[in-house]
Amino acid sequence: MKDLGEPQIAEAKLKLSLNHEDALLVSAVLRRDRKATAEFVARYADDVYNYVRSRLWPRYDVVNDIVQEVFLAAWENLSHYRGVGPLQAWLVGIARHKVEAYYRAQLRAPEPLDDLSPDSAALRSVRSSDHLEQEQMQTKTWRVMTSLPEQYRLVLIWRYWDKASAREMAARTGKTVKAIERLLARARAEFRERWNS
Amino acid sequence: MNRDFPDEEFFRAVAEGGNGSEAVSAPSSLKARIYSALVSRQGETAPLMSFTELKACGQELCIFEELVRIAPVGETAKSLNICRVCHARILAERTENPPIFWNGCPYVQLKNS
Repeated sequence: MKDLGEPQIAEAKLKLSLNHEDALLVSAVLRRDRKATAEFVARYADDVYNYVRSRLWPRYDVVNDIVQEVFLAAWENLSHYRGVGPLQAWLVGIARHKVEAYYRAQLRAPEPLDDLSPDSAALRSVRSSDHLEQEQMQTKTWRVMTSLPEQYRLVLIWRYWDKASAREMAARTGKTVKAIERLLARARAEFRERWNS
Repeated sequence: MNRDFPDEEFFRAVAEGGNGSEAVSAPSSLKARIYSALVSRQGETAPLMSFTELKACGQELCIFEELVRIAPVGETAKSLNICRVCHARILAERTENPPIFWNGCPYVQLKNS
């Protein structure tokens, strides 16, 4: 068996202690201890909020509803939490499912009717942006993302930030892979048009 | 013309850089609403832990909960979700940084978290 050094032992002890803390908190919440419930929300609301916000920004109205849904779903399933991993990761896992459910619902709706001809002048390359500093590029990216129709923004986030493949997205939305690829192409073209304008 | 160039690599590059939104605290009013919804949901299927039990577990009660705990009423009444009728809940759910300060109040804890 591999010997552990002191830092590894300290880290393992910390993990065990954190998991133990999580287990105690979960146990108290399951006993309907309202003070523990407040602690549960106080401790993890920021993590869940930041995850959901980063995926659905700038739809703050939707963000708040989904964060609340995450906690209610967590309560319904809390007895299944085994304490194997951190409670924070378990909650973010629920948040991921909720966000994907939102993506699915939005992507099943009809697409926006904007003129999105792929042969328009919009097809200019964004390579000109190569010289921009990374930070400026991020800022501009998110400014453009904010201005996109919601369906386009979500499909891009799902594909590139959440790294879902077109096949996965198709399976989860009930669309064909081709349809998802076409939607992605239109979203990218729209993005490019707004980036260059 | 390669229509896809440079889309894929561009998006992969910007996605690697993060999501453009800095970590922030969730609004305290949202935390308050989540707490209220959770406690309400918990009370739907079984009684909440009573104030007597909470005190025995070492939890701090707010002034109103303490009053109910020492009142000559049954344990059922001591399990009620009295936050439902408390002005602190209404203030906390509707405003950011609500003017509530007393000890033991879950909404004060959420405001400060």
